Amino acid sequence: MTQSVPLQSSPAPAPPQPPSPRLLQVLVVTAEEGDGLLPSLRQWAADAGVAVQAVPDLPRAVRQLAAQPWDIVLAILGERADEDLTWWADALRGAAGTPRLLVAALAPSLGLVLRAEKLGVLDLLSLPLRRDDIVRALGRVRAAAAEVAVPLPEVQHHAVGPYALVGQSPAMLEVYKLSARVAASSATVLIQGESGTGKEVVARAIHANGAKAAGPFVAVNCAAIPENLLESELFGHEKGAFTGAVTRKIGRFEQAAGGTLFLDEIADMGLALQSKILRAVQEREIERLGGAGSIPVEVRLIAATNRDLRQAIAQGRFREDLYYRLAVVTIQLPTLANRGEDLVLLTAYYARLFAERYGKRLRAISDRALELLRHHAWVGNVRELRNVVERAVIVATDDTLRAEHLPEELRGEDTSHADGPQGTMLTLAELEARHIARVLAHTDGQIGAAAELLGIHRNTLTRKMKEYGL
Amino acid sequence: MSEPLLPPLRVEKAVELLPDVEALAPLRALLVSIARADERSRWSSSGPYLTLGKRGVEPDELRRSVPHVLHQVTDHVRSLYEAYVGALDAVQRGDVARAVAALLHAGRLEESVGRLAQSRAWYERARSLAATLPDRRPEVELLGSLGRVGLALGDAAEGARYFQRALALAEAEFDQAGAIAACEGLGDAALRQGEWAGAQAWYVRGLRLAEASDDARGVGRLERQLGAVARRQGDLVRAGNHLRRARERLEGAGAAEELAHVLNVQGQLDAQSGRHQAASAAYREALAWMQRAPRDLALELAIRLGLSELLLEATRYLEADEELRRAEQAAIAGNLTLPLVQIYTLMGKLRGAQDDETGFVFFEQAVELCRTLGQSLEAVAQVYFEYGLFRERLGQLEEARAYLERARGIFESLGEARGRDRVETELKKLSA
Repeated sequence: MTQSVPLQSSPAPAPPQPPSPRLLQVLVVTAEEGDGLLPSLRQWAADAGVAVQAVPDLPRAVRQLAAQPWDIVLAILGERADEDLTWWADALRGAAGTPRLLVAALAPSLGLVLRAEKLGVLDLLSLPLRRDDIVRALGRVRAAAAEVAVPLPEVQHHAVGPYALVGQSPAMLEVYKLSARVAASSATVLIQGESGTGKEVVARAIHANGAKAAGPFVAVNCAAIPENLLESELFGHEKGAFTGAVTRKIGRFEQAAGGTLFLDEIADMGLALQSKILRAVQEREIERLGGAGSIPVEVRLIAATNRDLRQAIAQGRFREDLYYRLAVVTIQLPTLANRGEDLVLLTAYYARLFAERYGKRLRAISDRALELLRHHAWVGNVRELRNVVERAVIVATDDTLRAEHLPEELRGEDTSHADGPQGTMLTLAELEARHIARVLAHTDGQIGAAAELLGIHRNTLTRKMKEYGL
Repeated sequence: MSEPLLPPLRVEKAVELLPDVEALAPLRALLVSIARADERSRWSSSGPYLTLGKRGVEPDELRRSVPHVLHQVTDHVRSLYEAYVGALDAVQRGDVARAVAALLHAGRLEESVGRLAQSRAWYERARSLAATLPDRRPEVELLGSLGRVGLALGDAAEGARYFQRALALAEAEFDQAGAIAACEGLGDAALRQGEWAGAQAWYVRGLRLAEASDDARGVGRLERQLGAVARRQGDLVRAGNHLRRARERLEGAGAAEELAHVLNVQGQLDAQSGRHQAASAAYREALAWMQRAPRDLALELAIRLGLSELLLEATRYLEADEELRRAEQAAIAGNLTLPLVQIYTLMGKLRGAQDDETGFVFFEQAVELCRTLGQSLEAVAQVYFEYGLFRERLGQLEEARAYLERARGIFESLGEARGRDRVETELKKLSA
């Protein structure tokens, strides 16, 4: 199962391509033709080598965006700037090509700056517009146009059902070795690792290389299924056993007979159900809901979790006896951050996979795109990377994945976080406010979780939120 | 020492704790609107299956938001009380017209916050008073309001009866605007009952009246309705012509919200004609027009659902999922349960298209929402229908049949022939 084919983990850059000589196409959206904004813009644009076209409002802009590709959309935000910004971000989703959004508002607030940053806006300028600000923003787009294409490395992968094992980092080689050793036995395995590290792929690999490979591999996501339905999903039910039991149902344990049952996110299971799982593991038999007798089941069990089960045991949320039954062998999966150049291999693998799915020909990735990928904090690990590459492939128009094809959030990370609007330096308080807002955005507004991340008490956070008007 | 961080409570548990008392409805709405997905589960393998029930609520956050909601409730109740006192004062002074206006205002307030049964009660009181006025236009307006509420409550027949009376009275009183509105309402009622020809006839009648009165918005709106009917009748060319005329009239009138409606129907028409790119452009432009109009969350969600279905049909699953998640967030924040049921049904369909068995959780959530938040039986039947198709796709034929039979039973009990026929067709396919 381990991979030994040498991989090109540091691809050599292709010769630099000369920057495109074409004019940058800028769509300006403003209703104020008469106040001098457009004439000034046109004058600066001529100096800066860009072509400017104006439309009066968002609906007309959307028509233009669907009709032809634009490099930049400059939108003047109105009184409801925050709301306008959301509409603009939405409008760009339907655009031909991948235009960058440049917005301008009267006295932009810190909240607006943060929102713009989150949406990956190229820059938020203050009205009245200044030539230097425009030129600086255009310069950043020009710099992006000068990206160097790096050929995608060839990737040897190990297909596992609908998934594949990709990677040659030392951390993954350890996983391969342990998986190969455990596959031959029938031992119960507990796979631990952060979200998106590939626990199911490893479970499938163990199954595929084990004695029960000819049998089925049945996966159950314990956290996805509502608690009141999970029991019948696992053990099945007889017709009429409860209100929703419209037919007799064969549970996943029975479906997996002669094969492997993979219980993903097992820590999310309630204690009552944990007892039933324990019984099934110990006695190798189950009972359908509403059924009269026990049914013998011969399955190999592999469980996985992204939680600390020992902590869950200490908190009384997970049965210790079940833990020891499951953790006969434990495999710990590394995070993407700990997999070094696997990131490049995974990127190349997914780029090819999705290029085939979406009927595209991709040969390279730009140096800047690669740099953005390398510097991103992959909270969602390989799953997040897969998602990002798929989105990039969808919007890619030629044979190279570029920074502009990456999601706005990643492109937003390209900007200097220490700068305020107009490139001014932030005060300490502004910086704190920005950081708090960023953490709150990360926790989807959950104050408790944000306080935990920031390492401060919930009340302190609430006070600071009030203070900064967040 | 800081207190230990407790995990948020799941919405399904929080709703279970809340008794089904009318006075607590705003609290229930608040509970749903502040529900958040656990950021830690975003990238977990269960992340794609996250539904409202699995979102979390923080009692602390609820506590902080309660004063704001109480303030809104107090304001609303105060306005109703003031409207009533104003009406009473007007009656004492013998100014019946002002009393009717005050009661009508109260009804509008109730309607604006989705308290339809309550708004109907206010309109009924106002109407009995308006019947004594020499000027019958307020009564026409009230009958129209009652018809609209009837339709919104799912009783198309009752809605039609009110619109009929409104029309008769408006014609007798030469109230052109009232007559146009009544014709449109009658068309809407016919549309709800699947009577395409009837709907068309009413809209055409309304259109003639609107043209005669040089009412550009009315003309545009009725052209759009005629386009929608023609689309449902399968006459795509005629539908396109109506929509083009609607657009011309409404662009001239600068009616942003109406244009969003027109472009939504245009998107549906283009999708039906297989012009996916044009449909996508129409939906995007519809959203863009919405920016220029007062926020109409229901329309926005309808457009996003259309866009999601389009992406689903084009097998662009990732984008469809993202669009549905945006719609879900908007529906939760706006406490709109019917769109939420539709969103989860579509999410289940999306998973089914990818042969993902765990997608059943979305249908279960949709059924649960219908049950706990009192959705119409038609919505329930629609969920069971799609649930049956989902099971069928996964080869679980016995379960597919059971769900389809449930859907058929509900459609039959509602006298919904179209729905029943669709289910019958699928059941026959299963038996073949």
